Amino acid sequence: MSQSGATVSQECITAFNDLKLAKKYKYIVFKLSDDNREIVVEEASADKDWEAFREKLVNATTKSRSGAVGKGPRYAVYDFEYSLASGEGSRNKITFIAWSPDEANVMAKMVYASSKEALKRSLNGIATELQANDNDDVEYDTVLKVVSKGLAG
Amino acid sequence: MSSQHPLPNTQQPSDVYGGDEVSALVLDAGYCHTRAGFAGEDVPKSVLPSFYGSLKTGDGDAATYRDIFGDECLIPRADFEVKNYMSRAESIVEDWDAATKMWEHVLIKRLQPEKPTPPSKNGLNDPVPDGEGDVAMDDVEDQEKPLAESPLLMTEAPWNTGKAREKVIEIAMESWGCPAFWLSRTPVLAAFAAGKASALVIDVGGANTSVTAIHDGMVLKRSIQKSPVGGLWLSGQIRSMWDNNDPKIDIVPSYMVENKTPVDAGAPAQAKLRKFPYEISQSFRTYEEERLVTEFKESVVEVWRGPGRYSNPGNEDIVRSQPGRVFEMPNGSNQMWREQRFRVSEGMWDETAALPAAESITKAQTIPELIKAAVNAVDVDLRPNLLGNIVITGGTSLLNGFGDRLNNELMAMYPGMKIKIHAPGLTTERRFSAWLGGSILASLGTFHQMWISRKEYEENGAGIVEKRCK
Repeated sequence: MSQSGATVSQECITAFNDLKLAKKYKYIVFKLSDDNREIVVEEASADKDWEAFREKLVNATTKSRSGAVGKGPRYAVYDFEYSLASGEGSRNKITFIAWSPDEANVMAKMVYASSKEALKRSLNGIATELQANDNDDVEYDTVLKVVSKGLAG
Repeated sequence: MSSQHPLPNTQQPSDVYGGDEVSALVLDAGYCHTRAGFAGEDVPKSVLPSFYGSLKTGDGDAATYRDIFGDECLIPRADFEVKNYMSRAESIVEDWDAATKMWEHVLIKRLQPEKPTPPSKNGLNDPVPDGEGDVAMDDVEDQEKPLAESPLLMTEAPWNTGKAREKVIEIAMESWGCPAFWLSRTPVLAAFAAGKASALVIDVGGANTSVTAIHDGMVLKRSIQKSPVGGLWLSGQIRSMWDNNDPKIDIVPSYMVENKTPVDAGAPAQAKLRKFPYEISQSFRTYEEERLVTEFKESVVEVWRGPGRYSNPGNEDIVRSQPGRVFEMPNGSNQMWREQRFRVSEGMWDETAALPAAESITKAQTIPELIKAAVNAVDVDLRPNLLGNIVITGGTSLLNGFGDRLNNELMAMYPGMKIKIHAPGLTTERRFSAWLGGSILASLGTFHQMWISRKEYEENGAGIVEKRCK
């Protein structure tokens, strides 16, 4: 269980299995429900464009306690594919991204950070995980370097 | 770090959101300050010094002592000693009796919402000889337990002992009647509040500086490093500097000064000192001196930003050419501080630059070495992620230039690695990040299922805290 007590909805696991086994999706974006009780799927997509995915994270919002809308954290799973620099073909790595922009309000950051474990543990088959806190952290090249451990060509 | 005055407001939080209506309390106890407030709020309502007073009545064998709590009680008095309930070296509770009374003072007297209990029975109106001091809790068994409606989340140092953890849940459950309890480790809360489940947390506090690696919300025990290079140690450096100044600077705290006449910079003070018809204890004087030194620390002291050490050739010349800062003592004496204000803080980074003081430090106790030791103690694969997620917390980290210097030290230590420091800009967030993290956590509706309930405690005993609060 997470340290916040938040739970994971079944749809998260279903969508993840569709991505992992059926290759139905390229990525899934997860968020906490408005009452912060449950992690739900915000969007699952087959779109292969990293930039479009990145925009989704960078533009994600959340409501603060006072109702003001600001940048918001998210979780995401991306079926990352890259070719090895050594020419030994390509690799697939299902990558978990904990996105928590530094500008997000502290309440949202706290809730997402303390609930992350619940989701990660429900999703079986994650190869790599990364924690991203500013726009540079989710640039394709930055992520590629982390995911491939520098072995991508 | 500053001596904050308690807020008079003792109302319940009006800022209840998301339907999570829990009247939970959050308590974060440190060596210098004890912070308490309502879950869901941004800052602790009550921030008190962890120092308290002990008043002696009678003499010899007939002497009795009464403890009094709250900064408004710490004034010149006869037969009065100032004490602390924490251990300076460990920042964990040393005197449980005093700790309990101090916490009752902040949680009950300062925060407790109005209760249906008649005022004659709630203990708050019991006659106290001089109308101040702590709540008399001696007849607690006869009345409703004081926190019967308030779940309590407490923070703890990551090196807290199993025994101490059991002791706090006992106090919360048995003495105060809390319906639910939770213990969270301070660096985990600070990391979460920064939006990170994994981080290297550098906590530069009053009595200690510690470095702790957090991975997926768990403390990596082997990584924990701590040293006395914190706010009080820095005070020792300032004292050493004042002692060796020409002319020597006497520390005359405010309470000693009756009145003063303005004097030119560097001129001897012209002040009339107060006379007391009783002896002022050394412990009270030290406490008051510390407040003065803290003021100097906050307004004058700065950290050399780097790159490189302050002692590198040419650096001091740069500083000398820049404007200094004037500091006026309570007795009116004043002078300009220029290169000295950088020298006093340099020992935090470079032990060879530390001024001679009662508390000498080793290389291993400097901040860069603490970080190196913490990073070396974790798995190689985790290191890049930790260095890219450094969280700074603690009041002493607010020294001007601290973040820049830390960044420069890290870049020099780990060339080619991505270093990223998260340092909240808001002073309150930096000083109270652990409290704030606890406040948010305890206010969540989902946290209901996390709390150790009274029933669980009654069935399992105090050992439950080791099983549940991992």
